[in-house]
Amino acid sequence: MIFAFAVAPVVLVTLLIGLRGVAAMRTTSDFLVASRRVSPLLNSAAVSGEYLSAASFLGVAGLVVKDGVGALWYPVGFTAGYIAMLVLVAAPMRRSGALTVPDFAEARLASPVLRRVSAVVILVIGALYLVPQFRTSGLVLSVVSGTPYWVGVVIAGAGVAITLALGGMRAATYVQAFQFVLKLVLFIVPAVWLLVSVGPAVRGEAVHPVEFTRFGRDTPVTFRVGVTMDLTESTIVRTDDGVRLLEPGPWQVAAGTRVVFPAGAAVPEVRGEPLPGGASWQRPLLDLQNAGYPLLGTWALLISLMLGTMGLPHVLMRFHTSPDGRAARRTAALTVGLLSMFYLFPGIYGVLGRVLVPHLYLSGATDTAVVALPAQVDTGVAGTAFTGLLTAGAFAAFLATSLGLLLVVSGAISYDLLPGGLSRLRITVFGAAAAVVLLALMAIRLDAGVLVTWGFTVAASTFCPLLVLGIWWARLTVAGALAGVLAGLLGSAGAITVTLFGPPLSGWVAILVAQPAPWTVPLAFLTMIAVSLRGRPPAWAATAMLRLHLNEDQPTSAGPLPLRDLRHSTRPADRSSTVRRITGRLVR
Amino acid sequence: MSPTRRVAVMSPQTRHAHARGRLRGRWRLPTLEPRDADRAVVIFQAQRRLAVAPLVLLFAGMLGLPLVFRLFPGLDQLRLAGIPVSWLALAVLPYPALVLLARWQLRRAERVEDER
Repeated sequence: MIFAFAVAPVVLVTLLIGLRGVAAMRTTSDFLVASRRVSPLLNSAAVSGEYLSAASFLGVAGLVVKDGVGALWYPVGFTAGYIAMLVLVAAPMRRSGALTVPDFAEARLASPVLRRVSAVVILVIGALYLVPQFRTSGLVLSVVSGTPYWVGVVIAGAGVAITLALGGMRAATYVQAFQFVLKLVLFIVPAVWLLVSVGPAVRGEAVHPVEFTRFGRDTPVTFRVGVTMDLTESTIVRTDDGVRLLEPGPWQVAAGTRVVFPAGAAVPEVRGEPLPGGASWQRPLLDLQNAGYPLLGTWALLISLMLGTMGLPHVLMRFHTSPDGRAARRTAALTVGLLSMFYLFPGIYGVLGRVLVPHLYLSGATDTAVVALPAQVDTGVAGTAFTGLLTAGAFAAFLATSLGLLLVVSGAISYDLLPGGLSRLRITVFGAAAAVVLLALMAIRLDAGVLVTWGFTVAASTFCPLLVLGIWWARLTVAGALAGVLAGLLGSAGAITVTLFGPPLSGWVAILVAQPAPWTVPLAFLTMIAVSLRGRPPAWAATAMLRLHLNEDQPTSAGPLPLRDLRHSTRPADRSSTVRRITGRLVR
Repeated sequence: MSPTRRVAVMSPQTRHAHARGRLRGRWRLPTLEPRDADRAVVIFQAQRRLAVAPLVLLFAGMLGLPLVFRLFPGLDQLRLAGIPVSWLALAVLPYPALVLLARWQLRRAERVEDER
């Protein structure tokens, strides 16, 4: 029911606005030129709409419930990344005319090999970013409508792939800008309603957290994945098979089990996770992997998020719809403001979720905390309505991000790796979506926020050095760029693989393996610089770099010449040797 | 209406080049108008100089705030309107600061381009 009332309108209105956008575009001669006239405000709304994924809408609040107040560093890092983008990348990237990072590699360094390597990096980032989107939509649907997890994932994958293959991205800007407003409203209104209607007692509990050690009332918990818990005292629980007495000690719960814990029973401990509301939960630092080094964990996360934003392929693509470099820079600045509005609210859901739905941490489904909250406050019509609104918002978040990402991934496959025509692109869309659905089915245990952050880490260790040095350093060579990107990719992807499949680690090593940005980013930068210094950039390298910084709106090159130049028979400023002399300073 | 297919007459090399096709736009050597080159160097150097301050501020602020939380755990106990000050400093304070930083840098970067 909720699916029909909440998700269907989002999809329908998105389609309608998409069609309206296509019609508006048709009146101009060229679709691409039309999309380059997008104003900074509209474009920044579109950037924000694409950027606010399921990880922002649901994941952050879920991580607050699970890991504590320190999880609010995620949205801070997500926003701060746009400052780095504004300072270093936005305007020059737009002026390069490159739509994606592989394009940029070709425009700045003229290297087909680097183009292919960048396309592979896009696949890695895309997979890390898309899997949590599909996973979260599967989880949310299973919470609000009781369907099995895989149904939601498959619906999500099919929906996104069909929309994209039919050409749903043509009017992307309007759709995404609309979706940002939609998400903002669907996030803020329920937050205010929740804050008002929970009453002063819950509000007080929210800011005076106590450790979640006893169930406050009879609490049903549905385990979507199997877990091992440690019971501290014997507990009588109701399961589907009847009443059971559980002895203290470890207890294996199979996936799909539904257990009702009685009021007053001790909360069992999940292996490796502290109880929500404890002393470490209240600290505004993020103790990654519970390694005991909260400061290092927070720093590692922030470095990854701040530097990774500028390398996200689906965000870079959006900047191309600005008319020129200056508008792209304005877009980045406005995006900081729009995201700041949105990110004031996940914390409210998080601290309320810690009071009202702390048991979600047992079943590993804290990502659904936002959607589960209204039903806890109001069991009547209002609660159902707000659950519907939040589900709709979550789907908008998921749709916008997935569309952009799947387009970038399919583009990387069908343009850069296996060149083919438009029909090939359509097939690729379905292939990529199917692959991501399969990955998402296996990834039910992994939190959306964690996976998305890994996407940022890979971007920070590969594309960030490539773009920053490509834009600001004329001596960058193809060999240096290749070596740096490969070093960053192998370092970050290797560390993620070890975290997923390797032995459990502890202490600061665990943090640097689970969040490798503090060493992979410097590694990539240093490799790139060292290898470049050993080689020699081509003669045109300085010109290629300088072009990125030249603002387009100055009429000097096309307009009339200054008067004093006309008095001379020859103009030394027009000789190409002059260009070589001027630009040569930057390479030496 | 001859039944045979019409073909364009061209040299083997041209035919070979056409058959290979141009999958992506051909890469062209980047050029710069001589008069633009001087301006580009000036703008590039000015923007590079201007980029230092916001980046230092950004990283100092973002990496410094966790350090403050680590060094002064008392901020968790201090409350403003019932909410721990450290929570407010994390959930609210960074956003206006980031907006101001973005605005400041945008103005500076655009001024460089306006002057040249």
